[in-house]
Amino acid sequence: MNEWLTQLQSVTAAFTSPWSWHHPLLMLPLNIAAFWLGLKLYRSSRTPLLHPIVGGSLLVFLILAIARINYPEYQQGSGLLYFLLGPSVVALAVPLKQNLAIVRQAGWPLMLGLLIGAILAPLVAVIIALLLGGSRTVLLALTTKSVTTPVALALAQEVGAVQSLTAGVVAFTGIVGAVFGPSLLRRLKVTDHRVLGFAIGVNAHAIGTVRALEISALCGAFSALAMGLCGALTALLIPLFLAT
Amino acid sequence: MPNIKTAAQWLGGAFILVVFELLGRSLAPILPFPVPGSVLGMLLLLLGLMLYGEVPRGLAVVSEQLLKLLVLIFLPAAVGIYFLRDLSPRDWFALFAAMIVGTLVSLTISGLLLNALLKRSRPPESPHTLSEGKGDE
Repeated sequence: MNEWLTQLQSVTAAFTSPWSWHHPLLMLPLNIAAFWLGLKLYRSSRTPLLHPIVGGSLLVFLILAIARINYPEYQQGSGLLYFLLGPSVVALAVPLKQNLAIVRQAGWPLMLGLLIGAILAPLVAVIIALLLGGSRTVLLALTTKSVTTPVALALAQEVGAVQSLTAGVVAFTGIVGAVFGPSLLRRLKVTDHRVLGFAIGVNAHAIGTVRALEISALCGAFSALAMGLCGALTALLIPLFLAT
Repeated sequence: MPNIKTAAQWLGGAFILVVFELLGRSLAPILPFPVPGSVLGMLLLLLGLMLYGEVPRGLAVVSEQLLKLLVLIFLPAAVGIYFLRDLSPRDWFALFAAMIVGTLVSLTISGLLLNALLKRSRPPESPHTLSEGKGDE
């Protein structure tokens, strides 16, 4: 609660701060414009490779480099968006509730698959990175790779991972899953749209869910459900696992 | 006056989200296991919605809008990736290998596993009965 008030205070303080190139009144329009352009680029290209986060973040970085604004200054100017991360995690409960009827239909096999999938996704990645000699920073960022970004960022804060790397890893993982997931699974003779959606949702979160929705509504619903459940489950498991 | 009513619904929805976030943040430190406050807030809201039986209109609208803007909301965190300087080439290699190979491997395993589990759990002659009967519930 106190933490939240401090955050609120720093957001309002940034707005009333003296004029500068990284003032929220400049940074917020920059973020919105970059998001909008990134979205347009994505919609006209129709490939997950150009997910709005790719174009949007590159655009922001370009402007920051030109205007010589450093990252902490930009973060300060974008405080309002950081402030919205918490409520957007809470908002995930709504689609989860709406898709919960599906769980009752498919029952325990789905829950078992979820549990194994949610553990497997970070575990396989961490083992590969460990074998290749990745540092602790890299390993920590990989633990939340298959979780939807707002939850991953909250987790990063909890376990002390670098937030930016976490966000990058999540986006890249989602893109890999969305681009290669459906064709890979079809080649493995997985034709059931429920399985297709669920596997994509567990491994490629929101970016995969958008792709799953293109396959069929059923596929998308399973993907959205898997994404929400996997996020909640991982959020409970990872801190526990890292604490031991 | 429908406009005032809509605005009130929106405000109510936003209020519910903030209240549950604060509730989660306040309760998280008391729990015996570590969990992010906002995630706990989400679980509490899910529980609340299941008990209530339906999603209040304002909450549904606000949540939908917020989730549509998700990419904008986490844009500042993502931009930081270009400012990372303390990773070695070896780290980057391990990272990309883990993300690409790891994701494909876990997709394969979870896909095949789910396929086997779901096939076993229902009669083989009608694998889609339950999914098609969705509207009956």
